[in-house]
Amino acid sequence: MPREIITIQAGQCGNSIASQFWQHLCLEHGISRDGTIEDFAANDSHDRKDVFFYQSDDTRYIPRAILVDLEPRVLNSIQTGPYKNIYNPENFFLGEQGSGAGNNWAAGYAAGDRVQEEIFDMIDREADGSDSLEGFMLLHSIAGGTGSGLGSYLLERMNDRFPKKIIQTYSVFPDTATGDVVVNPYNSLLSLRRLTQNADSVVVLDNGALTRIAADRLHVQEPSFQQVNQLVSTVMAASTTTLRYPGYMHNDLVGIIASLIPTPRCHFLTTSYTPFTGDDVSQAKTVRKTTVLDVMRRLLQPKNRMVSITPSKQSCYISILNIIQGQDLDPTDVHKSLLRIRERRMATFIPWGPASIQVALTRKSPYLPNTHRVSGLMLANHTSVATLFRRIVVQYEKMRKRNAYLEQYKKEAPFADGLGEFDEAREVVGGLIAEYEAAERDDYLDPQTDSGKAEGS
Amino acid sequence: MPGSCLAACGQRPPTIASATERRASHTNGLPPRSNTTRQREYERPSVLENGSPVMEDGFEEDVSRSTNYATTERRKARYTVNTTETYRSRRSPVKDTFDGGGKQPRKIVLQSPPTRRKSRQDSQPEVKQWAPEASLIPHSSAPLAVRVTVPALRRDAPDLLDGPQLDSLSMVEQEKALLDDLLYVFMGFEGQYVGFADNYDPSEEKDRLIGPTYRILPGLDPSLKDLIESMLRMASQYSALEAFIEVQSRGEYGSVNHALCAAIRRLLKDYLILVAQLESKVTGDPSFTIHQMHLSLIPTAQSLIQLYAVAQELLKKNALLEEDADESINDFNADNIIERLKEGGDLLPGSMLKKRCIGGNVLALLTQRLATYSGDPAARSILEMLLREASKPYMTMLNEWLHHGGIKDPHDEFLVGEKKSIRREKLDEDYTDEYWEKRYFVREKEVPPQLQAVKDKVLLAGKYLNVVRECGGVNISSKMEHTPVSFDDPRFLDNVNHAYSFANQELLSLMLSAHSLRGRLRSIKHYFFLDRAEFFLHFLELSASELRKSQKSVNTGKLQSLLDLVLYQPGSIAAGDPYKEDVRIRMNELGLVPWLMKVVNVQGLEADNPDSLAEQYRMQVSVPGSKDDDKDISGHEALELDYSVPFPLSLIISRKTIIRYQLILRYTLSLRHLETTLIESWSEHNKAVSWTHKSSNRRIEVWKRRAWNLRARMLVFVQQMLFYATAEVLEPQWQKLMTRVDALESDFSSTPTNDVIPPSSSQGQKPQLGSSQDRRSAQTVDSLMQEHVDMLDSCMKDLGLTQSKLLRIHAKMVAGCTMFASYTSNLTRNLYSADADFSFLHNETYDRTMAAQKEKVISNYRQFASGRKEEKPPEIDESRISRIEETLVRHEEYFNRHLRVLIDTLNYYAATETVTLLGLCARLMDAEVQKRDPLDAAFA
Repeated sequence: MPREIITIQAGQCGNSIASQFWQHLCLEHGISRDGTIEDFAANDSHDRKDVFFYQSDDTRYIPRAILVDLEPRVLNSIQTGPYKNIYNPENFFLGEQGSGAGNNWAAGYAAGDRVQEEIFDMIDREADGSDSLEGFMLLHSIAGGTGSGLGSYLLERMNDRFPKKIIQTYSVFPDTATGDVVVNPYNSLLSLRRLTQNADSVVVLDNGALTRIAADRLHVQEPSFQQVNQLVSTVMAASTTTLRYPGYMHNDLVGIIASLIPTPRCHFLTTSYTPFTGDDVSQAKTVRKTTVLDVMRRLLQPKNRMVSITPSKQSCYISILNIIQGQDLDPTDVHKSLLRIRERRMATFIPWGPASIQVALTRKSPYLPNTHRVSGLMLANHTSVATLFRRIVVQYEKMRKRNAYLEQYKKEAPFADGLGEFDEAREVVGGLIAEYEAAERDDYLDPQTDSGKAEGS
Repeated sequence: MPGSCLAACGQRPPTIASATERRASHTNGLPPRSNTTRQREYERPSVLENGSPVMEDGFEEDVSRSTNYATTERRKARYTVNTTETYRSRRSPVKDTFDGGGKQPRKIVLQSPPTRRKSRQDSQPEVKQWAPEASLIPHSSAPLAVRVTVPALRRDAPDLLDGPQLDSLSMVEQEKALLDDLLYVFMGFEGQYVGFADNYDPSEEKDRLIGPTYRILPGLDPSLKDLIESMLRMASQYSALEAFIEVQSRGEYGSVNHALCAAIRRLLKDYLILVAQLESKVTGDPSFTIHQMHLSLIPTAQSLIQLYAVAQELLKKNALLEEDADESINDFNADNIIERLKEGGDLLPGSMLKKRCIGGNVLALLTQRLATYSGDPAARSILEMLLREASKPYMTMLNEWLHHGGIKDPHDEFLVGEKKSIRREKLDEDYTDEYWEKRYFVREKEVPPQLQAVKDKVLLAGKYLNVVRECGGVNISSKMEHTPVSFDDPRFLDNVNHAYSFANQELLSLMLSAHSLRGRLRSIKHYFFLDRAEFFLHFLELSASELRKSQKSVNTGKLQSLLDLVLYQPGSIAAGDPYKEDVRIRMNELGLVPWLMKVVNVQGLEADNPDSLAEQYRMQVSVPGSKDDDKDISGHEALELDYSVPFPLSLIISRKTIIRYQLILRYTLSLRHLETTLIESWSEHNKAVSWTHKSSNRRIEVWKRRAWNLRARMLVFVQQMLFYATAEVLEPQWQKLMTRVDALESDFSSTPTNDVIPPSSSQGQKPQLGSSQDRRSAQTVDSLMQEHVDMLDSCMKDLGLTQSKLLRIHAKMVAGCTMFASYTSNLTRNLYSADADFSFLHNETYDRTMAAQKEKVISNYRQFASGRKEEKPPEIDESRISRIEETLVRHEEYFNRHLRVLIDTLNYYAATETVTLLGLCARLMDAEVQKRDPLDAAFA
């Protein structure tokens, strides 16, 4: 069926998240570990599995996924894991040496140039296998080597190859506070340029925030990677429910993104999700009874935001899409909640555009046990996401000033001509930050400097 | 005495033979054609043959004791005739020659050749010839009516036949003579001394229906006279009843009247037996006096008074006799006439304009009289008997209707009528629910009072059964053995209630289980509310090129195949829908808004006519050439779906509802289409290099921002409209309907014992039925139908499709947005030319396709970007920028203005009419620019 989405999962982080994501989707759609439909889901025609899956000749469901990594560890674990059989074995790509990119963006990017043909063969094959491809989802982290470097390379190329297709990324940003990889500001900045220029929509997931939420919600000191990844997969699954369980509206990815991203450059989306329970993440505590208003209010709380951003007084929402999942949702509740939010000024909006809190009401998978009635995901376009970028830039500039760790970058192809790549990326990201900051001002559409001309028009 | 004999002879059936002979001789040798043949057809019983010579004797000879005896014999013979009811003198249509009026020739045409009449007429004026004769008259539609001509009148008899004057007789002789005379009079004949009053004309039907008045020849002793007069009244009532029976048992008066006549006839038979007994007394008992006779007649006379009163009232109601005061023709029913014409039935000039009192009205009359005379035991028992008997055929019809859904009603007397011209095959084009509403109808004026309270139930019960029966295969005959046969049965109402609940359940179960109404409704929701829009979006995507064309050049077949392709594609949600083959693509000639505007305007004129919408629609369909003034619409605007529903469900999902579904579909479709175009425009804004490129010219950058923002606002506007329409109007309304259906189903499945309970226990069940009625509002199929229509109507109202002002503004908004969205590629091109960064393109020709251009732009842009730093900033083409700025400002202003107006209008209507619009209002405010509150800013 139409509007298929091909998932490209690059790097260690991307593949780990993705494997959780596929697991989640399988559970939601009643697909067993070998790709066959579970008996209890056999006669159900209320969901669309074919957005993310296709059926092989033996009617097994196979994810439209391309697994790319330059080092074997995560891919091996997937290939030996419980869901090893659902993937198409042809869609595994492992770098030739299997040595990885060594947390070096440049290495990943250079490797991309070498292996792109093989990867694009896979992508083309998948694209040909779909009736009307809607777009791609790239899952990666921007701090490491493969996900950020190779991912960046793929983004650039995909833009050329599929100029009409939507490219959405789920990008895991490094925890700026701790920084487990020293060079992550470099990698992040370089990736960020591609995300700015080559992606249509970037869902920003911040490792720091994820860990914090996992710790808060799940009441564990040191949440495991798996728990964090489960958070991410829950968010991803929720953000695609309108595609998989079609309703009246928001049945295609582009529709969702278009309403969220009024100006093309401001396409970085933050997410909030509530409530996390044991259903989604193991060991999560059950929360109290939920209502639509509860959910919508909590979604606006900063502590549920999966990005560590520090909103200033000026920062505001550009747009919001709430995806509310639940059975028998009453639209009047939504209406009331919206009124409440507006009354209490819980959300500040840009002063120059529409204040759109969109709400999509969707069903829940009938196959997952639910202890709560309503759950919600907020996809928001918030100007304060720029603060995250600013932190990266600041860290980058600190390191850059000291010329720290630049040697290994210079070795790789993109930096053969010098470090201009860094400067360009810095400029692009700077422009991005400026754009967001401009968006906070009243005169975004009519800047003072140019007001004379604008008025005259 | 000879006179009396003569009079009797003239009237007796045996005279036929002689009378015919005599007439034959009168007709100057012309053979008596019809009369003789008829005579041969009807072999007279031997008793009558025996009577014949006697008559001849009596005619010529003087009266003697022996002839007197013979007359008794004859009376007996006549009596047998009466009871077998084969020969009775038929008086009404036969106009005997003696009245000599102008209408005489017309009437006689009926039975005899004119020559005969002529000869008579010629002979009459001069000499009043006494030539009593009787002949057979043709059958009327009353099978048991008397078929002998009216006997000659006494007053026309020559004087020589008269007996001795009364005053010449002694008291005893007078009594004897009158006893004899009275026996004749009791049977409706004239006697020697007692004859019809002069103003009575037996050939006049009305006279006979009122009953003859008798006149006693002068000279009677006053003591006898008083006695006799009361008995004469009874005799006259008897004659009137005879006439009544004869008239009312004609075919057109219906089976209830027939049954009533039969009952009265049975009573009259008792009366005749009494007369026969009196005769034997008169002949055998010399001491029998008129007094004794009077005494023995009193109870019978009472009954006859009652019967006579009923008959008179009935006749007045039937316009056979004049009503006292209010002759009203306001029950003139044009519908009935047309219906009758359609059926090709006999359109008797009298039967349709005249008031008719048949069927239920007869029963109503009887019931009413019964209520009036309930204090009089004798009258009451008679009336009860009459009602019981008369209601039997009615009850049969009622049972047939209640338990089989059939109408066996040749005389149109049942309270439920059927219009045969409305067939269920026409349901597909039935825009007004004609089939359901009008095929069966209650004849409001002919409802017997017993059924008045339950007439709707009666109508529905049969209607439902009919549907069930027409669907076939279902045994719908509920236990008939317990059904009452007449109105006074105590189980009468239970029967109706029972049949009703049975029929209701049958139909509901048929619809809910056998024809899975819920599945149907769900399927309709998919296609018309697009609650899972993905398949339709795919369809729109596939057929975009086709739909872009103008409505006239769209290839509907191609669209249909595309739709099928989408519907049958495995994995789509629609693929699981079992009814997908019922969906058809249609192109409407008229755009949604002009159409709705027409509808709204029409409804404004005749708001009380709920069908005007459908009428309008039909009109519009049938006269496609009538709207040349409308501009040609695109395929997107013309697209609509059609859905065919099989029979029993098409009652609920009727054309009437499908139209409303179509309107709603087209409305949401227009919004969806707009959303799609805006999203396409977004894609272009996001993907085209001229938009994504960060221009060196600040003015262009600002311009882009504004364009993006305008597009975003439009998108927000459309999406909010769509969200409101779907999540706040369609879905809740739908859920409401479905809960009704659910309630119905659960209710229905929880009381399956209903039809198993024998009628005897139904008394205990009745209150329970009542309580369940309160519990479920959509208890019947009818109320379900109504709720379905109501649901759609309130959807349309909440969507603002019923307000012309809203529609107009909405149309303008949509048009503005569509224009801007479709203008995007133009803007993109302008941007290329305006943005100095792309000056390298200016030298190139623009006749290439955009795609090819874009490739070039991208590659050029790369080179350009890399070399940008070195180049000096290219010249800025200010005029171009100004031009695109102007365009954008125009769009912005248009959008702002109309959005403002729309919100204001919505506010107005939300305050005055539709509260739900307030929600939409609040949403649309969001699409406006959020100016920060100064207060807010101060807090911040």
